[in-house]
Amino acid sequence: MGKAFAIAKKELNIYFATPIAYVMFMLFVVIGSYFFLRLLGAYEMASLQSMRMNAPEMMNRLNFQDAIFRNLFGNLGVILIFIVPFLTMRLVAEEKRQKTMELLYTTPITSGQIVWGKYLAALVILFCTLLLTITYPVLVQIVAKDQNGVEWRSVLLGYAGLFLMGAAYMALGLFISACTESQVVASLITFVLLLMTWIIGWSAQDAEGWVRDFVTYLATVSHLDSFSRGTIELKDVVYFLSIISLGLFATHRAIEAHRWS
Amino acid sequence: MIEVSHLVKSYRELRAVQDISFTVGKGEILGFLGPNGAGKTTTMRMLTGVMPPTSGTAKVAGFDVFEQPLEVKKRIGYLPETPPLYVDMTVRAYLRFVAELKGLGGAARRRDVERVAAQTNCEKYIERVIGNLSKGQRQRVGIAQALLGDPEVLILDEPTSGLDPAQQREVRDLIKGLAGKHTIILSTHILPEVQATCQKVLILASGRIVANDTLEGLQKANAGAATADGQPGPAPSLEEIFLKLTSA
Repeated sequence: MGKAFAIAKKELNIYFATPIAYVMFMLFVVIGSYFFLRLLGAYEMASLQSMRMNAPEMMNRLNFQDAIFRNLFGNLGVILIFIVPFLTMRLVAEEKRQKTMELLYTTPITSGQIVWGKYLAALVILFCTLLLTITYPVLVQIVAKDQNGVEWRSVLLGYAGLFLMGAAYMALGLFISACTESQVVASLITFVLLLMTWIIGWSAQDAEGWVRDFVTYLATVSHLDSFSRGTIELKDVVYFLSIISLGLFATHRAIEAHRWS
Repeated sequence: MIEVSHLVKSYRELRAVQDISFTVGKGEILGFLGPNGAGKTTTMRMLTGVMPPTSGTAKVAGFDVFEQPLEVKKRIGYLPETPPLYVDMTVRAYLRFVAELKGLGGAARRRDVERVAAQTNCEKYIERVIGNLSKGQRQRVGIAQALLGDPEVLILDEPTSGLDPAQQREVRDLIKGLAGKHTIILSTHILPEVQATCQKVLILASGRIVANDTLEGLQKANAGAATADGQPGPAPSLEEIFLKLTSA
């Protein structure tokens, strides 16, 4: 396990020595903040309206979780589709192109340690990305301290869902990166793949019966929503964990295959 | 120390290495020669466990390269043709990383990084980013990486390529200094270098061994015709031997 950590440390060293991680952090926060501000504005309008209409029952139904964070997490999930490919493209493809894979192949480490190390680094980057957006609920908490405030349990569950979804995306991206020598190809294919997992959900609306259930189950976004509502469902956790294991297993196979080519 | 028997490697229909066998004793330096495309790098990559052979076996320090690859890799330091460097890391961070991969930790790692940096004269630019180094400097970082962990066997694929004459001499002296303690396979195109450093010479041509002997043995075997009064002919240079054997 120590050698997997060594690889993770090296990957993080490179992430933070090159601009890629910072650029992705910035993109995520800029777009995320835009969505946050819009949702906050809408919330403000709704609460003003309910006050003007003197409708306390409407006022009671308004809460931060449903009005802001549930939608915000959905939006952040979509932004992840755009930034994850750029975070994973380098991981294996660049080692092949720069011929540093030969170093990993000739030092006493296993393919499993290579995969774990790289994935661990990807998870740390994902964690940092999501951590930057914790400012949104903190801001709401500060401003709304005399009201009920933020339901932290639900917010944290939403983050857990986002993290699981991002982790699944990262595992797929890592696999694609292990299949090619070109970062551009890796990022493009990863992007298309992640986009598919999102838009496949749209076609569920036209389908009926079991096809509809099946297609809905395939779409990642539908599994994020229960987390954003503040609940954990076993089927969603199983869904994300299956994608992660599939991605890591396939990466391990791809790295082994490259050894034998 | 290194035993290779009937090693074959085919890439589809191309037979890169055809049934080669040789041994290298402990502490010996073997000069690994041959024209480009003769199969030198392929053989080295099989010995270091980068790729499996099509058939045949290879043993390093008594461990089979394909049955117990991790045991073999613990004992080998390898410098590939292109030094495997991460251009975004500093020399120190890179050497520390390789040391970690080789299982060195704590104070031992720090000491070893200092030791190889001193041995290869990398200290002056140890805090610089590898991407900003010259080709010769990078080559030396590559050699330093192979020396980490003090492996019993060193496999160096053209260690002096890209170095200026002064640096070439430095590296040659370094390799000579390692003799005895380490078993070394040295691939190179610079024949005087072989003459200066290697006890034994192995010449490959089109995937086959055409010569495997000590330098004197080779000179004797390829000496010119005896003169009229029974004296042996003039001893040929390594260059002449090389050209004669590889042109066939």
